[in-house]
Amino acid sequence: MTRIVMGLLKPALIGAFALYAGGAAAKDLVWARYGDIDSLDPHRATSTLSMQVWDQVYDTLLAFDENGNPRPNLAKSWTVSDDGLVYTFKLHDGIKCHDGTPFDANDVKFTVDRAFGDNPSLTKTSWGPITKAQVVDPLTVRITMSSRFGAFLPFLGDSFSSMVCDSNTADTFGSSTAIGTGPFKLVNWTKGDEVVLAKNPDYHNYGKPVENSGPPHIDRLIVRTVPEPQTRLAALRTGEVQVAEPPFDDIPAIKKEGKLKIVVAKNTGQNVFWEFTISRPPFNDIRARKAVAYATDPQMAIDIIYGGLNQREWCPIARGVFGNDQDFCKQYGYTYNPDKAKALLKEMGYGPDNPLKTTMFVWTGGNRHKLAEIFQSQLAQVGVEAQIEIMDIGTMNARVKAQNEDKTSPEAGTFDMMTWSWYDPDILYQLWHSPGAYSGFQTPELDKLLEKTRTTIDKAERLKAVHAVIKYLMENAAHIGLYTPGWEWVFAVQPEVKGFKVGAFLHPMFQDVTIE
Amino acid sequence: MTAEATDIPAIEGPKQRGFLRALLTSPNGAIGLAIVALLVLAALTASWVAPYDPLRMAAGPRLQPPSLDHWMGTDDFGRDVLSRILYGARLTLQIGVIAVGISLTSGLLLGLVAGYASGWVERILMRLVDVLFSFTEIVIALSCLAIFGVGLTNAMIAIGIASIPFYARVTHSVVLVEKNKPYFEGAVSVGAGHLRLIFVHLLPNVVPTLIVVGTLGVSTAVLAAAGLSFLGLGAQPPQPEWGFMLSASRDLISRAPWMMIFPGLAIAITVLGFNLLGDGVREVLDPRQRER
Amino acid sequence: MIRFILQRLVAAAVTIWIATIAVTILIHLVPGDPVRIMYGSFQTTPEELDAIRTRLGLDQPIWIQYLYYIERLFHGDLGRSIVGDQPVLDILLTRFPATLELTLASLAIAIVVGMSLGFYAAYKRGTWIDAGSMVLAIVGVSMPHFWLGLLLLFLFALKLNWLSVAGGDWKSLILPAMTLGLANAAVLARLTRSAMIDIFDQDFVRTARAKGLPKTLVLYRHALRSGLVPIVAMLGLQFAYLMGGAIVVENVFAWNGVGRLAIEAVFARDYPLIQGFILFFATVVAMASVVVDVAYAFLDPRIRYS
Repeated sequence: MTRIVMGLLKPALIGAFALYAGGAAAKDLVWARYGDIDSLDPHRATSTLSMQVWDQVYDTLLAFDENGNPRPNLAKSWTVSDDGLVYTFKLHDGIKCHDGTPFDANDVKFTVDRAFGDNPSLTKTSWGPITKAQVVDPLTVRITMSSRFGAFLPFLGDSFSSMVCDSNTADTFGSSTAIGTGPFKLVNWTKGDEVVLAKNPDYHNYGKPVENSGPPHIDRLIVRTVPEPQTRLAALRTGEVQVAEPPFDDIPAIKKEGKLKIVVAKNTGQNVFWEFTISRPPFNDIRARKAVAYATDPQMAIDIIYGGLNQREWCPIARGVFGNDQDFCKQYGYTYNPDKAKALLKEMGYGPDNPLKTTMFVWTGGNRHKLAEIFQSQLAQVGVEAQIEIMDIGTMNARVKAQNEDKTSPEAGTFDMMTWSWYDPDILYQLWHSPGAYSGFQTPELDKLLEKTRTTIDKAERLKAVHAVIKYLMENAAHIGLYTPGWEWVFAVQPEVKGFKVGAFLHPMFQDVTIE
Repeated sequence: MTAEATDIPAIEGPKQRGFLRALLTSPNGAIGLAIVALLVLAALTASWVAPYDPLRMAAGPRLQPPSLDHWMGTDDFGRDVLSRILYGARLTLQIGVIAVGISLTSGLLLGLVAGYASGWVERILMRLVDVLFSFTEIVIALSCLAIFGVGLTNAMIAIGIASIPFYARVTHSVVLVEKNKPYFEGAVSVGAGHLRLIFVHLLPNVVPTLIVVGTLGVSTAVLAAAGLSFLGLGAQPPQPEWGFMLSASRDLISRAPWMMIFPGLAIAITVLGFNLLGDGVREVLDPRQRER
Repeated sequence: MIRFILQRLVAAAVTIWIATIAVTILIHLVPGDPVRIMYGSFQTTPEELDAIRTRLGLDQPIWIQYLYYIERLFHGDLGRSIVGDQPVLDILLTRFPATLELTLASLAIAIVVGMSLGFYAAYKRGTWIDAGSMVLAIVGVSMPHFWLGLLLLFLFALKLNWLSVAGGDWKSLILPAMTLGLANAAVLARLTRSAMIDIFDQDFVRTARAKGLPKTLVLYRHALRSGLVPIVAMLGLQFAYLMGGAIVVENVFAWNGVGRLAIEAVFARDYPLIQGFILFFATVVAMASVVVDVAYAFLDPRIRYS
């Protein structure tokens, strides 16, 4: 009930205040998204929705520039030992955590130890084979690895390596408290509704690609959950919300109206791809996998659903990520060819009287369910009956893994439209090196090729190694790239909001934002 | 025609021949019957009458408003909405029949046994039924779906299970009333066995009420299934189920309102039809209520 | 009276107890390994899964699990959600007020609109007003409320731009409350009409009229008060239906209540949250029933002694 009373008082108070203070009223920015964060704890979630809020509350040792290259941030410099196993970071002086305690090497050690501790981070393996983190002095921290890991420095620019202050020891951490060094402080999180953030007056930016090196100009950033695209559109129109993802089909109309700005993120690192259950028929046979690839036409599907806002992606890693090369990948790709698909299926014994029955897993959001229906229809035309099952990403991860691990089930193997967003080709190691993130396709040859991508530090050599992996994955039809980006990359912004930027790998930044 | 002894009905209730006629005289019954008949007709003849294949994408340009080529417009895949509505009638009938079938037969059995047995058997059974009833049907249905997974078949069964308490309670109250009637007491005193008492004496007198409740129950089942499909827990793509079509229309309400209007209208009319039919049947079978 | 209240409380307690049993059984009905289904995503190894299994006590026989569940329940611990690893009770308590707001607002609308319509129809019985109201009512009963919600959203939010639904303030309560309320108003209208017709036919009303009492006095003091009794009896049921209906309406309008939470939990197979929700829901409905039954007993003393 208090909410209704507050709801009545709030507009009255704000109205009165605005009248007298005339412009000195609180500058709030409301950003509406289709879903909520899973947790404020960077070790307990993997969704993009969660990451984007961690970006505001926490900071990372390194940061990505506009092109996705890592550079110094909280760490002002570092050295790597000759054997490539010991990293020593020097931190900037004078950084404060939101509760006033200083940010120093102890906080870095706290974060790393926690990621590997009793309740380890969900992205523990992305840190690499770390054996220990030592505090050399308050501004120097040393991290030791057991083997070389080429993707470590890029990882330190990514939100999963967000630096968590060591004062986060309460068991409310992650659900109602979160102390970091980021541009915004946490005020509160009402699950399913909104996360309220207030500007951090002590903030200083060292490495992020924004113009304003001090605290944000706006007073508060409110990240609200509004699952319905039409409702977000209505809220944009009434001015309740300043930044939101609009419904795709309304974008041409919005552009024509000319009031709201449409911002399209680049270099999102998002890749949507086919992967298959390898442990059982039908997809243990490469012909079935190739048939699915030949039978579906991603270009047509994305043209229908996204207009010109999306691109075909031939590689297993997205544009903007090291190793991506459309021409290289296209050589090994499967161009739309339903006749070839039918021929392969016929070889396997399937045909019009004996259709191949299977299930396609898709996760919610990004209009992927619509693409799934188009693919379903295309597959039906070559004699593949694919039932669609839509679920949230967490459930899909678990079910894909369960499918791969089930070698004896009489039910047909499934395939799925999986998505991953990553800033480095190391994601391929995480997905496909045994035991594999989903216990899926793996071979000893692939393992060797993947290990090479991890331990090679020299750029030119690493490129060759990554290309070898891409070739292997595509020739074996294990990871078939479809399109990029995949979700949340289009924003509609109110005209009075200036300075809204989306950094590489889909990190919206609000430090430069001003509201006129 | 002269009246003869054989014309007098053996049990309480209208004669078979007069039933339909009586139904048609009440406005509720007539309209209800007409709507339901239309639904059945649509379901049976969909394959011949529908102008396009309901699953065929790009049967026309995407997101077209109603036109001569597409009387109800096209959806965001270019599929013909009218054809999907017609095929959807089939799914709707299936849902209604199966869900009510499950809940009615199970609830009937439960209510008969509880009402007849009396004593602690009755108390325990009806207490259980009451508890399940208080969970509300949607929560029971959600639980079933959470356990066994989503999909139209699972949704039909879930709704069927969720409505069992309702039918059990109705049967139970009718049985309690019938047990006090002279014909029943007479049968007991004559020494009729349990099974005979339940199936020959009680059951036929419970049936009229159940017909009314069952007819109304079809509308509840249809609404529930549409609701679950709307939430994404029932019908899955590309099934042309009306609730699912409504859910697909949500993103496009401003761009293509016809995608939202026609499936909703179809559901509303179907539910209205069964509601009116149920009311009409009640008027015929229970003349005391006719005044209302 | 006290005895009656105690009886009702005991009945509610039994309902809640059975709910706890049902909820414990639930997780074991899931085909496959529940731990794997809940936690087996991305990078968990079989050893980590076993550790989770032991931590949750899922390797124990079912009746021991039940006892642990009850013990934790008394400490207010409903477990932790799988998504985001948060205490289930906290999540439910945070989001419940929104559902309560919606349910009460809808109930208010349903009572005001439905009872007025039903009352008026009964009063003008036999006229076209009566027939018209009842047509309206039966149409209202037949309409899927998620469709009504979409229609109202289309009309008021998108076309006319009068109302919006982002944000949890009272303005965004209007559309969802209207949707849920109007749907139930139709039901209440029919019930009120039947109840009122019964009353108007009763002897004591005719006696009052014959005595020469003014019509309004008869209507309000005598008829309405007695008519309220069966309607209050139905209100308990209505509250349960409204809570159930809120689940769908919250979804249409993205209203941040426990209903929407339940749907998200079912999709995510967040079993601790689903279990917590069912128990919570059963408790709320049981408590509401007690309140309504006691209110009913106040209005109609005969009930206390049955």
